Order: sequence, then C-alpha cells, then structure tokens
Amino acid sequence: MSLVGELVVLLVNGLQTGAIYVLLAIGLSIILGTLKFVNFAHGALYVVGAYIGLLITQQISIANGQLAEWGFPTLGLGWGFIAALVIVPPIVFVVGLAMERFVARPFYDRPDTDQILVTFGLAIVVQELIHALIGPRSYTYDIPSEIAGGIPFSGPVGVPLSAVTIDVWRVWVIAITATLVIAVYAIVEYTDFGLVVKAGTRDPEMVRLLGIRITRPYLVMFGIGAGLAGVAGVVGAPLSNINPEIGMTILVPAFLTVVIGGVGSIRGAVLGGTLIGMVQVTLISLGTVSLGSLSINFTPWAQVGIYALAVVVLLTRPQGLLGSEEVTA
Amino acid sequence: MSDEVGSAAETEADSEPVDESPTLYERWRQIHDNESTVAALTILGVALAPFVLVTLPTQLGLPSEYSWYHNLLTLTLIWGIFALGYDLLLGFTGLLSFGHAIFWGTSAYAAGIFSANVTGSPLAMILVGTLTAVLMAWIIGWISLRRGGIYFAILTLAFGQMIYYIFLSPLGDITGGENGFTGVQVGSLFGVVDLGRAVPFVPEAFVDSWMYVFVGAAMILSVVVGYRILNSPYGAVLRAIRENEQRAEFVGLNVWRYKLMAFILSGAFAGLAGSLYVIQRSFVPIENTLNWTVSGDIVVITVLGGVGSLFGPVFGAGLYMYVANIVSGMPVIGEFWHMILGIVFIAVVATMPHGIWGRVDWLRDRVADAIGGDER
Repeated sequence: MSLVGELVVLLVNGLQTGAIYVLLAIGLSIILGTLKFVNFAHGALYVVGAYIGLLITQQISIANGQLAEWGFPTLGLGWGFIAALVIVPPIVFVVGLAMERFVARPFYDRPDTDQILVTFGLAIVVQELIHALIGPRSYTYDIPSEIAGGIPFSGPVGVPLSAVTIDVWRVWVIAITATLVIAVYAIVEYTDFGLVVKAGTRDPEMVRLLGIRITRPYLVMFGIGAGLAGVAGVVGAPLSNINPEIGMTILVPAFLTVVIGGVGSIRGAVLGGTLIGMVQVTLISLGTVSLGSLSINFTPWAQVGIYALAVVVLLTRPQGLLGSEEVTA
Repeated sequence: MSDEVGSAAETEADSEPVDESPTLYERWRQIHDNESTVAALTILGVALAPFVLVTLPTQLGLPSEYSWYHNLLTLTLIWGIFALGYDLLLGFTGLLSFGHAIFWGTSAYAAGIFSANVTGSPLAMILVGTLTAVLMAWIIGWISLRRGGIYFAILTLAFGQMIYYIFLSPLGDITGGENGFTGVQVGSLFGVVDLGRAVPFVPEAFVDSWMYVFVGAAMILSVVVGYRILNSPYGAVLRAIRENEQRAEFVGLNVWRYKLMAFILSGAFAGLAGSLYVIQRSFVPIENTLNWTVSGDIVVITVLGGVGSLFGPVFGAGLYMYVANIVSGMPVIGEFWHMILGIVFIAVVATMPHGIWGRVDWLRDRVADAIGGDER
C-alpha cells in the first residue's frame, strides 16, 4: 500500500512542479510562436505576480530594503491569499499590456539579439528594483489555510493517505492550472479571436490586407501570457521561498519547457512542463539507489536531469516534441 | 586611439579625401589602425592607468572612497579580457551567448584545483584553465550551435545552469559546493617572482605589484591576439557571417565551423580571464564564477561598453567595475546601482548599437573632422 501512496505523492508533486512550468511556458510559447518575440523578462512577470500577491496576502516587515529607511518598516494589505489569487492576474495582465506596448512593440522589427537584450535588461531592472526596495531576503507566504481548510479532509494542510500526506494546495495548483490551460486552449482554438491570432502566425501581411488590425490580438495575447505568469507567481509562491532572484531561476526551466514541447504549441507546453516536473521530482525522491557495490545518490542530479532531458530532445527532435517545423524555422 | 576595426576604416575612406601634403592629423589617421599602434596604445594605457585612475584623483583631493584602487584596476583588466573575448562572439560573429560563465567558471575551478594538487605556477594554472575552457567551449558549442538565434541563447543559458548545478552538488566533494574551492595555492612566477610583491625600482604610484604587471601583460597579449584575429581573413569571415549568414554559406564557407571556432576562441579568452581571476583571488567562489549572473554581467559589460570594437568591452568592464564597487557605496544612489545600470543598458540597446564607446568614438570623429576641416 505504501508504494501506491508514494507513487501518488510522486505524481502530485511532479504534476504540480510541472504545472508552474506550464503556466509560464504557455505565455512564452504563444508570444514566441505568434509574435516571434523572445521574452527574457517573462520571469520578471512571475516575480511581480509573487510580490504583489505577497503584499496583498499579508503584512511583511522589510528588513534591509530602502522602503524601511523611507518610513515603511512594514508593508502589505493583509487581505488574505484568496484576495491575492483574484486580484493579481488582472494586475499582471495590465503589466503585460504595458510591456507589449512600450517594450516589445518597438522591438518587433529588430533582430532577435536586440529583443533578448532589451528584455534581459528589463528583467534586471525589475529584479534590482525589488532588491533595493524590499531587500534581498526571502519571504514565505502564510499557508493559505482558507483553501486547505475548505477541503473536507482531516488536517488543515495535508490529507493522510496510508501513511503519506499530500499537500492539498498542490492539488489545487494542478486544478487551477488545468482550468486556465483549457480556457486558453479553447480561446485560441475555437474563437474568432484565436483564429486571427493563428492566422497572424502564418501570414501577418495577409491578415492585415484582409482589414484586420493584427496589433490588438497580439496585445491581448501578450497580456494573457503575462497574466498566466502572474498566476504562476501567486500559486507557486506558497510552495517555495520568494526573493528577487527567483525570476531568472524559473525562467530557464520555463524556456526548456517551450523548447521540449515545441514553440507555439499549447499542448506541447503541457507535455513539456509535465515531463520536466516529473523528471525533476522523480530524481529527487529516488534518493540513493544501490546497485550491488555501486550506490548513486540521485537527488543532487535532479536539476541536472531536466537539462539533460532538454538536450536529448533537441538533438533528436529539434522542433520540440509537438512543434511543427514551419513555426520554429 | 580608434579601434572600430571594420567600420572605421570604411567611413574614413569616403570621408577623407587624400591630401597632397598630409598634415600631422592625417598621418595619424593613417597609422592609428596599425597593429603596432594598437599594441603601443594598449601598453601605454595599461602602464598609465594606475597613475591616472588611482594616484592622481587622490592627489587632486577626490575622496579616497570614490577613487579607484589597485586591486579593482587589476580586476577590471581581467574582466576586460573576458569581455574582449566575448565581443569576438557577440560583436563580430553576431552570436548571443548566455552561458559564458561556464568558461570563466570551469577554467577558474580547473586552475584552482590544479594549483592545489599539482603545481601553483601561475603560467601552468593559466594553461590548464584555458585548455579546460577550450574543451568545454568545444563540447557546448558543438551542441548549442545546432540551433541558431534565440535557441542558441536559451541553450547556452541552460547549459550554464546545468554546469552550475553539477559543480554545486554532485561534484561538491571536489569543488567545495556552495562554499567554493578554498584550497588554491598560487606559487611564484618562474619560481622567483612573488606576484603579491611590489615591483622593484618602480614607484607604487605607478604599479603596486607584480600581479598588475602579470595581468597587464595578459591584457596586452589579448588585445594583440584579438586584433590579429579580427584583421585576418578569418575575422573577415566572422563579420560576413554576422552580416548575412546565408550569403556566407552560399559563397561556400562552412558557416557552422567558423561559428564553432569563434565560440571556442571566445571561450579561450574567458578561460584566460577566469584563471587570472583565481590567481588574483586565491579562491574560487561559485557564485562569482559559475552562477548565471556572471553570464549576465559579461553581456551587460560588453553591450554597455560597445560591441564590435576592441576597446569598447574593456571600457565597459571599467565602467561596470567602477559602478559595482565604488558607486554602490555612495549615498542615495548606491542602493540602486544595479537598477541604474539596467536602465542604462536598456537605453544603450535601444539607441546605441555600438555602445557607449561607439558613441564616444563617433563624437571624437565628429570633432576630429571639424578640426581637420579647419586646417585644410
């Protein structure tokens, strides 16, 4: 029985880790696939989401940030986590719109290198602004007891399941991600708006000739991608520390998700994120495995494993698992 | 002291009609792109930098906390070498790598571990470090260059993180994990010269230690080698690839191989710089060697200073080191130094394709043209 329990935990942890990557990767992938724009500041949107959520959820004390010196030793609204969950996505959506209009759009016709550089610069500015104002220390969210308590299971945080416990919040993360992914997928696949976006990917000039203003769907897609990154920041934050540097650290796995899944493909992003999450969590929980006299500890290799996976996929299937040749070319 | 190796020569050709009797200024324009001129200027710059930047400001009454210090100058030269090599790739071949911490970092570890176990001879450390970097660049370039453009940037970034995590934990027994490698044993140069000692017969106002002479020599060598590469047919091919990869391919050049060589060459410069860094610090801190921030810093330094020139990146290294180490301690703006650099960086990317140095170069040419015009 305990093996089943462990497998369930593994699956939940893996899917949840992957879910965060999926939320980030969908935005990246759509923006890259439709707008051909490389956004190195996507991680910054995640950080912005996490910090705004933090300030809405609780009061934080600022130890060595400038804000403390300017007379704000504590900051935050203390409205609780549910409020953050509702308020943050629209805010980050608007941030995304502003980013598209003022940073991305002037650079659509510039070389890839310039796009990467300018968004990288933006990521630095966001990271360092938070670093200077709020300080370098890590914060943790108060455990969202409202949500955990709302589940009719014993224990406020975990569900006992034959000697193992599953964090209810992880299940919620998976559920929220699944809902959002399905919604975005439906928008792109089954609405006129999605049709315009997809047509714009194929032949933007033709779309323009047909009298459709392609800039507006692009703007909205960028905003949706940003909003998803903001959601990732809020739902992912209770499970890890947040500090100004998490944006860049999460950006790399998010990019790998896009690379593995295939650019411009939502299904690819889901597949890629799930794969990466499962590989990472499996290696962590494998621990030390002994084969005869040889014993290997896999835990330290967990981070390495996802890069190895990406390299293998790229070498064998350069367009990604579900990507099409023409989009990536 | 112009350095716009490619474009400067072209712009001159059409803006400067050849005069019957060349003035002093025109004669200068003729020789200022020669290899010996560039080398002489570098030697002059390296030799005078400590006096001009460290001694003179203090003499003139600038508060000592706002002026350069000798170690910072040495560090600037080391980063200058790193940036110079990086520019070979970004500025001259047009490849944006986000993984150069790999070469700087692995060479630092290789040199450090070699010094602890075999010999601490600085030259041997440099040799081992640089060779390690070349090997790493070969492997990683071979894989990453399969995909162009944005994928190259993403892949190099990913490899950087991969190597960082490998050195952090699975190899922690050898590398010292997050504490860094502490057993570095730097010996004396040729068995006689202790790098930490002052140079005899030279006043400290000019050169404080052999370390500066050693690093300065490496800098001069790097500039000369870089200049050689860029002005050889090889450099012309690299520029051709930057301008139009497809055309270069159609002319019959093996673009992939040239890109790989450019990657390896810039990795070698990074390896030289990384080894020097360990020799200076006698310690390999993982956060300052393999962390992705190093890859980010070198991008910022090179782009700020100016891509596509030899001195631009070195200028960028000086600017970055000054801001990171001196301005960061200033009141009010000190806390925001990194953010301010970020904003300047965005401005440079948006408006100055050849960086701040390119703008200085352009201004100087303007002024020079105006003066030259008056003389005629």
